[in-house]
Amino acid sequence: MITLGIDVGSITAKAALVKDGKLLSTAVIVTGYNSKNAGDTVFEKILSEAGIKRSEIEGIVATGYGRNSVSFAGKSITEITCHAAGAHFLNPAVRSVIDIGGQDSKAIVMDEAGKVKDFAMNDKCAAGTGRFLEVMARALEVDINDFGSMSLKADNPAKISSLCTVFAESEVISLIAKGEKRKNIIAGIHESIGSRVAAMAGRLGLTSPVMMTGGVAKNIGVVKALEGKTGKSIEVSEMAQLTGAIGAALIAMTI
Amino acid sequence: MNNLALFHGTAKSPNEYARELKKETGKKIVGYFCSYTPEEIILAAGALPFRIFGRGDISLADAHLQAYSCSLVRGALEDALSGSLDFLDGVVFPHTCDSIQRLSDIWRINVKTGFHIDVVLPVKLDTKSSGEYMADVLRKFQRDIENGLGVVISEDDLKSSVIKYNRIRSYLWNIYRIRSENPALIGSGDLHAIVKASMVMERDLLLDELSVFAGSLHGGNVAGKPAGKRVVLSGGVCNLPDIYSFIEDSGGTVVGDDFCTGSRYFEGEISLKGDIVESIAKRYRERINCPAKHSGLLTRGEHIIKIVKESGAKGVIFLFLKFCDPHSFDYPYLKDMLDREGIPSMLFEIEEQLPSEGQFKTRCEAFLEML
Amino acid sequence: MITDGQTPDQEKEKRKIKSVKKMKEIMTNYYLEAKTAEQTGKKIAWITSGGPVEPLIVMDIIPVYPENHGAMIGASKMGVDLCEKSEQMGYSRDLCSYARADIACAPVNGGPIGGLPRPDMLVCCNNICGTVLKWYEVQARYFKVPLFILDTPFCHTEFSDEARKYVRKQVDEYIQFLEMVCGKKCDFDRMAEVGKLSVRGQRLWQEVLDTAAYKPAPLSAFDAFFHLALIVTLRGTQTVIDYYTGLLEEMKERIASGISAVPNEKYRLLWDNLPVWYKTKWLSEKFAAHDACLVADTYTSAWCGSLKYIDENDFLGTMAEGYSRIYLNIGVDEMAETVIEMVDKYDADGVVMHSNRSCKPYSLGQYDIQRIVQEKRKIPTLMIEADMVDERSFSESQIETRIDAFMEVLKAR
Repeated sequence: MITLGIDVGSITAKAALVKDGKLLSTAVIVTGYNSKNAGDTVFEKILSEAGIKRSEIEGIVATGYGRNSVSFAGKSITEITCHAAGAHFLNPAVRSVIDIGGQDSKAIVMDEAGKVKDFAMNDKCAAGTGRFLEVMARALEVDINDFGSMSLKADNPAKISSLCTVFAESEVISLIAKGEKRKNIIAGIHESIGSRVAAMAGRLGLTSPVMMTGGVAKNIGVVKALEGKTGKSIEVSEMAQLTGAIGAALIAMTI
Repeated sequence: MNNLALFHGTAKSPNEYARELKKETGKKIVGYFCSYTPEEIILAAGALPFRIFGRGDISLADAHLQAYSCSLVRGALEDALSGSLDFLDGVVFPHTCDSIQRLSDIWRINVKTGFHIDVVLPVKLDTKSSGEYMADVLRKFQRDIENGLGVVISEDDLKSSVIKYNRIRSYLWNIYRIRSENPALIGSGDLHAIVKASMVMERDLLLDELSVFAGSLHGGNVAGKPAGKRVVLSGGVCNLPDIYSFIEDSGGTVVGDDFCTGSRYFEGEISLKGDIVESIAKRYRERINCPAKHSGLLTRGEHIIKIVKESGAKGVIFLFLKFCDPHSFDYPYLKDMLDREGIPSMLFEIEEQLPSEGQFKTRCEAFLEML
Repeated sequence: MITDGQTPDQEKEKRKIKSVKKMKEIMTNYYLEAKTAEQTGKKIAWITSGGPVEPLIVMDIIPVYPENHGAMIGASKMGVDLCEKSEQMGYSRDLCSYARADIACAPVNGGPIGGLPRPDMLVCCNNICGTVLKWYEVQARYFKVPLFILDTPFCHTEFSDEARKYVRKQVDEYIQFLEMVCGKKCDFDRMAEVGKLSVRGQRLWQEVLDTAAYKPAPLSAFDAFFHLALIVTLRGTQTVIDYYTGLLEEMKERIASGISAVPNEKYRLLWDNLPVWYKTKWLSEKFAAHDACLVADTYTSAWCGSLKYIDENDFLGTMAEGYSRIYLNIGVDEMAETVIEMVDKYDADGVVMHSNRSCKPYSLGQYDIQRIVQEKRKIPTLMIEADMVDERSFSESQIETRIDAFMEVLKAR
């Protein structure tokens, strides 16, 4: 049985093909402004790369912020449920998931079957999201892909106290003006997002093992900051960004 | 030569001070919020009344309090949950505002800091029945704290406690007056440290130190910066010592306030005539009210105008904690009354995380330039 | 989420509650009477939603509720404009949106009915919160009319003897205040009558809410939010009794004919906190699409929650306790117990909590109540962050995701 999961996020759209419970193929594209087109495009891409025909797919589930615009999906399921299922696939021992996406962050606790027991979301404020990091990287003229590793080089992380992304940016600018070392500012930024997300996760009560999913999981600085703030070790899979799509494809098997 | 360092040290690290004191003397320490707490009764019970301020980063408290509650309440809960207040033998919550009210319940459910007493004072302060209720509540508080500490409070204990408090408040009032007349003598940051230390320091020691400090003022050593434009501060709890230096750096001199952690703390002498509990109640009734209490419709406005006129101030800076409802509700009418008197004012909402220095100073400078 | 939202019109008609029409008539007449009071010579009192309205009924004073007006403002989606206006007047955006909207309304006669009629007096009972004290002070300064404050001390763990004495004394003071403002004596026989009518009305309201314990529920919390208006505003009158008697009848008929609030009720949920007034239909339909019915809530049941403290044969004597021990004036742990009782009574599968920015007494403590309910009943709870009247605090797609995710959790159990 071949099933497909499509995860249309604010920044990227992902697809995963699962055959008989095993991961067959994945694809990622930039979403752009039209999430419907993004769904169609990533669908076509994965079909051609895997050499699979549309008719061979027995179930399709869409998830992510743009899930309701994927017209060819059989069902749309929230990313909370899909990330839990996906994380469970990547490591069945995992009991908690932290997902920091482009425009929100989530913490999920699940049972031994990968089912969601409880969840918390920060969807009111950019300060706990990927967007925060992008704004800061731009302010510091650093490539977002190097941002995390640079934060680990700090000798004295700066304190960023503003709760708001826009005002935090002002704070960063004045730190630069004061001659604060760039690596220390970057570390401060990572501490800040770590605090924000850890506070939300703390409300939920994380159970180990904890896995981080979503695009921001690639940022080693955030992972380390989160470990520091939550006091728990956090694993990251190579497939972190695809967790939602994988979960969606797995759920498609049961529909 | 003065003892400012002691005041600053205590004000900066009150928890450490309390821990040391407990270790050295085994003194019972009772935490409290709000200047409506009948401290006189706590002291009479032989314990140290220790005001809780709460500062620092919030993480544990987020699991119990939404972000739209003020940083005093969140910070205090954070301290409690992280174990920073485990030296307390008990905690006292007088009725103040909705947030403190719920903090009391949440604290009672989640934190173990000895005994827990709610002092449900009246919200009305200006009627006969509320005055009677106030006295009843104080008597009940006396019984509750006797139980909590396992002591009996005598009439003499109360009297001697009241005498101490009258003296402490008299010193504080004098120090404020001296500074208002001659701002160069005491930095406003110093003043803040003295008042804050007064809320946590062992009270006999405090009396000695206040006496020493007051004495040093009459030495006539003119210290500190030359005076800037005279301003009065208005608000509730202000636990940000840096604010004072920001204002001074922007060209202002603070010559008065109506803060809960300022003049309201030491206003009002307690009479020793008649029933002592009634006298204590009278002070809390008659002292200028916190906006969470009701005592007339224009009382606070009249009071601020009085302070401005008596201190020769040129303007008022309102400093509210973000999410402080009682103060925010009063602000428009207070501003209106000040406008009618031709007294300029500025409003600044503050949080535990200090406002960006640049932003605050710019606004402050611009305001002071207007005066 | 693709669901079948197409029900035949007849099906929808059948499901509508017939009494709604009567309620709209009564409320229209009530507001008309209030707005023409000057002509009839009747006095108007603005009173808080938790305040003792019975003495006003006895004295023939028309009670007007700024909070009910606030709900109407929210429901007509006029909240944002009025809140913005209040911010221009200097009121912080973080203050209660009922207060902000009402304060902004007064000078411009804004809102869906062209503003409330001027009060001759203000009656403020702080059993629901400390905000009303400040709000009514503002209005007292604005309208320059006498203000009576009924101060009901908070009951963290008990209703103390000291508080009992104080509140009882204030009840007498309240009557004296009304006598003074109206220039006439209070008829205590009528007071006893009105007291009995009030208790009867509360009992009927309780019975109406109780019908939702039936499976499937004939009415949902969203219906209750609408039908609540009378027990709040005209408690103590025969009108209330007649209306709820009719509504109860209708509920019983619906149960007998198998008409439920949600066509295919599979999940029963409890709602906590005030409604999101400008989104009640949206929320109702969203949950219904998931076959979920909000069968009960802590807000509407607060207006019959004091029955256990009031003796209908001594209304004046027992109302002090009745008004002091309402749901919002008790400790968080006692509130959690009430929630658990309701979960059991209505057999709820989950709890939906509205973390309402405007209402600190209702919202601060919800996290602990949530935890206690999850520990003791092992059912999932959903937190929705919003505001009751200020739509700027409602984030539709985010909340939609949360509701969907919560329902997925429920369905998977």
